[in-house]
Amino acid sequence: MTKNKTFIVAKNEFLKRVKTRWFVFTTLLGPIVLIGFFAVIGFVSASSIENNESTVLVLDETGRLFSQFDGVDEDITFLHAEGPEDRLRQRVLDGEADGYLVLPENIVTGDVEARYYTMGGGIGEFASDLRFYLRSAVRTARLEDQDVASEVYDIINARVGLESIRLSQEGEEQGSSAAYAVVGGIMGFLIYLTMLIYGSVVMQGVIQEKMNRVVEVIISSVRPFQLLMGKVLGIGAMGLVQMSFWAVLMAGGTMLAGTVVGLTMDTASLELPAEATQAEILDAAGVNLPDFGVEVFVFFVVYFLLGYLLYATLFAGIGSAVEQQQDAQSLMLPVMMPIIMSIVFLTAVIEAPNSGLSIALSLIPFTAPIPMVVRIAMVDVPLWQISASLALLIGTFFGAVWVSSRIYRIGILSYGKKPSLKEIIKWMKYA
Amino acid sequence: MPILKVQGISKQYEKVLAVNNISFEAQPGRILGLLGPNGAGKTTTIRMVTYITIPDSGQILFGDDRVGPASQERMGYLPEERGLYKKMKVGEQLMYFAELKGLHKSVAKERIRYWLDRMGALDWVSKATNELSKGMQQKIQFIATILHDPELLILDEPFGGLDPINADLLQDVILELKDEGRTILFASHRMEQVEQLCDDICLVSKGEIVVNGALSDIKKQHGKNVVMIDFEGNDGFLDRLEQSGSVRVNARSLRHAEIRLLNGTPSKTVLSAALEDVSDITRFELVEPPMREIFVTAVTEQQGQQALAAEEV
Repeated sequence: MTKNKTFIVAKNEFLKRVKTRWFVFTTLLGPIVLIGFFAVIGFVSASSIENNESTVLVLDETGRLFSQFDGVDEDITFLHAEGPEDRLRQRVLDGEADGYLVLPENIVTGDVEARYYTMGGGIGEFASDLRFYLRSAVRTARLEDQDVASEVYDIINARVGLESIRLSQEGEEQGSSAAYAVVGGIMGFLIYLTMLIYGSVVMQGVIQEKMNRVVEVIISSVRPFQLLMGKVLGIGAMGLVQMSFWAVLMAGGTMLAGTVVGLTMDTASLELPAEATQAEILDAAGVNLPDFGVEVFVFFVVYFLLGYLLYATLFAGIGSAVEQQQDAQSLMLPVMMPIIMSIVFLTAVIEAPNSGLSIALSLIPFTAPIPMVVRIAMVDVPLWQISASLALLIGTFFGAVWVSSRIYRIGILSYGKKPSLKEIIKWMKYA
Repeated sequence: MPILKVQGISKQYEKVLAVNNISFEAQPGRILGLLGPNGAGKTTTIRMVTYITIPDSGQILFGDDRVGPASQERMGYLPEERGLYKKMKVGEQLMYFAELKGLHKSVAKERIRYWLDRMGALDWVSKATNELSKGMQQKIQFIATILHDPELLILDEPFGGLDPINADLLQDVILELKDEGRTILFASHRMEQVEQLCDDICLVSKGEIVVNGALSDIKKQHGKNVVMIDFEGNDGFLDRLEQSGSVRVNARSLRHAEIRLLNGTPSKTVLSAALEDVSDITRFELVEPPMREIFVTAVTEQQGQQALAAEEV
């Protein structure tokens, strides 16, 4: 009978919400917003690439290297310049160019270095591009001096691509690890979003029930624990329906997703040659994208559910203690910290999925869902780590249920002054 | 045979002893008035009876068993602070409450129709709650309380917010349920209603019972010590009587007064004092004290004693 009541509450919570305009609206618009969100990131990063467009004055003392630079890069305009360095310096200071490159006379034959002067201090991708062009120009000149056959140039200058292949117990898998990183990252981010959104729906539901004063009637029919669990499960079921709908949509739109993913990627995490063009990035991601084992998605759902259950339960406890959404903010902070932390460390986990930090984060139950999903998508996580993290997460969930239901029982009937954290801890001790 | 037996229950919150060793019983086919000033421990007591909270000590028996999840399905509770889900439709809402009480869907459907019809609310079945007036919501809440045909009904200020016509309708239903053998716990501050409805009284103050028993017995115990007088003319005699300390004037209006005789003062004292001033007396009656008078006397006495006891400590 008791199990039944939890089910009745869950069913009501589920149906009540699924029938609302809000549900239909978010279900339909969710993917659009999400794609739009990723597209904005893509657009921003794309435009930041455009912003990398720069002009470099080249003082070519050798008189023969400039032709190697002319038109070699879409984004960098190399201009042939003459004359004393002071004048070049002035032109750069006037903002006419981003910097000037001095190629000393004996750079081809001797041991001197080229110098690049810039106001910005050429770092990162641009510097590595510049170095690459310089090196290939000098190399070409040197080969010419040695009178080497043109076939040899071609051999030497031929682009050597690097394909990264993911190693796993089942054997090699096609596709660059970058693609796995991106999908892992998106999955982690989705868990983050949904955990927060559905968690706060649960909290709002609890607060509303308390504000409407319906709660006293309800708990004269069911145990507070059943009400709490029914709410969490019902809203979780709603979330699952919503996510499944999105999954179907996404599966249908994989092609589009691949493009969007490509746009959002950071070239550094791709482990592609630094000078790879946008098209090459897209290529690397788009083509190899759908090559995932089913277990990755199964774990995604499992970790989403467990993460949601853990946090929704805690949020429900918090909601029961307050009367208004605003009052909940300060109490939510300690609960939110681990979630925020797992997002803050998301890039660190993507960069080194097997580092000590990544393993620790994916084992600590409060942070586990996001990093673990990222790791499972990227590397072969040892079984013991998955089982340990699942066991800890499930154990913590039951702990959270215990704590929350004790707070809830007292909280839903307490009106008036907003309780402090200390008072809430006291509630847990009541019989 | 009493169906509800409350035996020596206590409940402490923080430093406040909300309920201190309370015992009472409720009989089928009778209405027990649970009375007391604000903060006396009524709600805490009701919450323990409905198994929302659990007493620190003592026990509550419903039928032969202690209260618990099973007894919850046999009780209907209408709390003073009550509400409905704002956006849910009346019909869906009632169905949810009925299901939570363990009622089968098909039975619930029939009962919802019956009661909505009976309360003149059948047209609202597919309206959302926030479209209803306060009085309408009140009726829906009452229906939710009795849908599962509970053996024990706990009604906390059930008439609040109802117009006289709907209040009469509700009163008829309550009396009908009583006649069918339901046990009813009625909490209210409206003493006229208590007097009209209740068979038994349990008066609580500061977590303790101060008066408990059949309403008629309690009244008899107090004896006829209240004079009701209707008169024409000067009412100066009321002030003189009160100053002498032999009576207390409870209610006083232009042509009417309710006078409590103190320390065995005979009613004749009032009559002779009145004759000195008034031009005519249209009514002079010695009656049992009204519930209101019993309430005030009992509570002030107990709180006075407690204050004295506190001073001695």
